[in-house]
Amino acid sequence: MSMEFSEFRRLLGAEPRSRDPSFLRARDSSPEFRAAAAEADSFEDKLERALALQAPADLPDLLRAIPGSAPSVVQHRRGLRFAMAAALLIAVGAASLTWRMNSGWDSVQDYVADHFRHDGPAMLALATREPAAVDVGAVLAEFGMTASPALAGIVSVIKTCPTPDGKGVHMVLDTERGLVTVIYMPGTAVPDGEHIRFDDRDAVLVALRSGSAVIVGSESQQVAGLHELIQASLVPGGGST
Amino acid sequence: MSSEASRLAKFNRLASAYGTDLYRFAMWLCGNDALAKDVVQETYLRAWKALDQLQDEAAAKGWLLTIVRREYARTFERKVPLFTDVDTVVLTEDSELEPDDRTEVRLLRRHIMGLAPKYREPLLLQTVMGFSCEEIAMELGISKSAVMTQLFRAREQLKSKLQDDGMADNVHGIF
Repeated sequence: MSMEFSEFRRLLGAEPRSRDPSFLRARDSSPEFRAAAAEADSFEDKLERALALQAPADLPDLLRAIPGSAPSVVQHRRGLRFAMAAALLIAVGAASLTWRMNSGWDSVQDYVADHFRHDGPAMLALATREPAAVDVGAVLAEFGMTASPALAGIVSVIKTCPTPDGKGVHMVLDTERGLVTVIYMPGTAVPDGEHIRFDDRDAVLVALRSGSAVIVGSESQQVAGLHELIQASLVPGGGST
Repeated sequence: MSSEASRLAKFNRLASAYGTDLYRFAMWLCGNDALAKDVVQETYLRAWKALDQLQDEAAAKGWLLTIVRREYARTFERKVPLFTDVDTVVLTEDSELEPDDRTEVRLLRRHIMGLAPKYREPLLLQTVMGFSCEEIAMELGISKSAVMTQLFRAREQLKSKLQDDGMADNVHGIF
């Protein structure tokens, strides 16, 4: 018995890659069915392409390491969940800085370079193409932080991201010097004002009242000039969840 | 091969076979790269600890998926991330696309993230994980008919939104 077109359309919308014999026969049963099938295939190709996100390059290594280091993975996860609690325990402007990183970076300098190479250019590109309203306060509130209006007003893109000691925040600022990256690290202590240079980038570390930040720009942008703004504008407040 | 070596080999096969798909699934659920990675790591950690319970490796995909969904629900259900990383995660891959296709794919991604969970999740299970409607019904605990309706409506909504975006030339009106 041949399939009704309405039933065929329902199946195309629900399971277009079905290998059911009656469905496959119906696909080729008339020009009308063939056209509908071709259109559904075209949409399905786009859908699959859209869903095919690129997995992190280090994911296979992270998974393969689990059997040999299960305790450390648990520790890492706890660090992520309780990053806020950890941040509260870190003395602001601590004289003795600790470079012991939980996530495989030897130093905060390595982390900054590695992180920026990973998605810094992509975030800058996103800020260039798609300036949109972002809820800076809501994102920072998750970390018990707040931004002054002067800072919040120039944030083009914001997202959470990994940092050496748990989850943090990655922002792109639209400044008079051009687009500049700022990464907030809630649980990491840094030497205030220290410069990091990698590739063609210049970065400056900023010790905050809670956690720290790094400002990353091109060598010509003189990002050190933004140190004062970040230190004064990214402060505890806003509550945390 | 010793039992421990055999166990390790089994684990590595599961990591290679399903790690990427599970990351994608988690990423589309929570919209956040760091959290998705964390969910997948935790899933495999639990899988490693409970590996002996998996008697039939052919059932591994469903087994792992159940752990991912449980882990996601346990950890992030009440804490939906406020910002999606989806665009940034895929940017490098997208650079190979033609500009028009890139725009359409980016719009489609945004609309997928905007789907209600009851439509998005069956779509992810089918398209990312390769589950049949019967398997989705079993995983979600609903009827196959309900799954088919949700899948149909998910695609219908995505096509409609693309048309609203002015992508009508590339979207056809079969639904």
